[in-house]
Amino acid sequence: MSPYNRNTLLVGILVVVVIGGVLSYFASGDPDGLEKTQEILGAAEPVHTGVEPPPSVFEGYSLKCLGEGFWGNAVAGVVGSLFVLGGLLVVARILKRRPSRQDPEKV
Amino acid sequence: MHIASGFLSPPVWGTMAAVSGAALAGSLAAARRQLDDRKVPLMGVMGAFVFAAQMVNFPILSGFLAGLPIGTSGHLGGGFLLGVLLGPALGIVAMASVLVIQALVFQDGGVEALGANIFTMGVFPCILGGVVRGLWRKPSWLSYTVTFAGAAIGVLAGATLVILLLDWSVMLPQSVSLLQALGVMDSVHLFIGLVEGAITVAVVRFVLGARREVVFGTTQLVSAGEVKA
Repeated sequence: MSPYNRNTLLVGILVVVVIGGVLSYFASGDPDGLEKTQEILGAAEPVHTGVEPPPSVFEGYSLKCLGEGFWGNAVAGVVGSLFVLGGLLVVARILKRRPSRQDPEKV
Repeated sequence: MHIASGFLSPPVWGTMAAVSGAALAGSLAAARRQLDDRKVPLMGVMGAFVFAAQMVNFPILSGFLAGLPIGTSGHLGGGFLLGVLLGPALGIVAMASVLVIQALVFQDGGVEALGANIFTMGVFPCILGGVVRGLWRKPSWLSYTVTFAGAAIGVLAGATLVILLLDWSVMLPQSVSLLQALGVMDSVHLFIGLVEGAITVAVVRFVLGARREVVFGTTQLVSAGEVKA
């Protein structure tokens, strides 16, 4: 990996760990804009049959076994961010495995 | 702004799943052509940034006038930001990854509502961001003003769309007119949109300073010799 790309990743991971792992602990617990709107309008109860998300140890952005405190939130924030980062790197790897036919530079 | 499970009727979430699915398929095909060695880490890092930033709910209108929405919070949407920095295709791929992981791992947003959520927070603002990015070549106070306004408009349009989808799903109470519902939703999201604009401008400035040559729309200028790589 080039130093250029390594630095992009390192700075990015550092920022994400600070925001997802630390800053998010101080997030407001008030309902978000949509929840508040539904509350005001009196439409807060779901009536349609939906697909509930599968049970997860990270429910409510907190690692269950660590509780709702700082560390439960920090682990959830950092792990979630790294899932997104890792997932996107895997998607990019799959997409670039075979050079695209439309890419003139790779033909 | 994540629509939870059970709020959209099957025809609505089905339609939105089809629309977002098609947009995502097109984006993946375009991403294959657009991704180069240096864009991959930026896309990954920006996706992770949006996930982390979405966890930071900032208080909006707490303690405001009685009767008006008080005790509300908002968080960065990030779709417009990714549209500006990565372009619509890579932006949509990154936003879809964020929303899928939020739904499946963090139980945020209904699984059947994923198509709708990817559209209101991904497809639409990402395309808007890409279009706005095309309006300027060199960053200036004017380009940042346009970026600020675009990000705020992206949030308001997304919020409007969410209410329209809920209305289409017959989820708005009979006693409330569509216009009233839009009024409440958009007045809350106006404030969220202003914060979205401010964060978007700050992050765009930072990334342009650090990695301008990888930002969407700059690559062509680099090959034309207008920007030093």
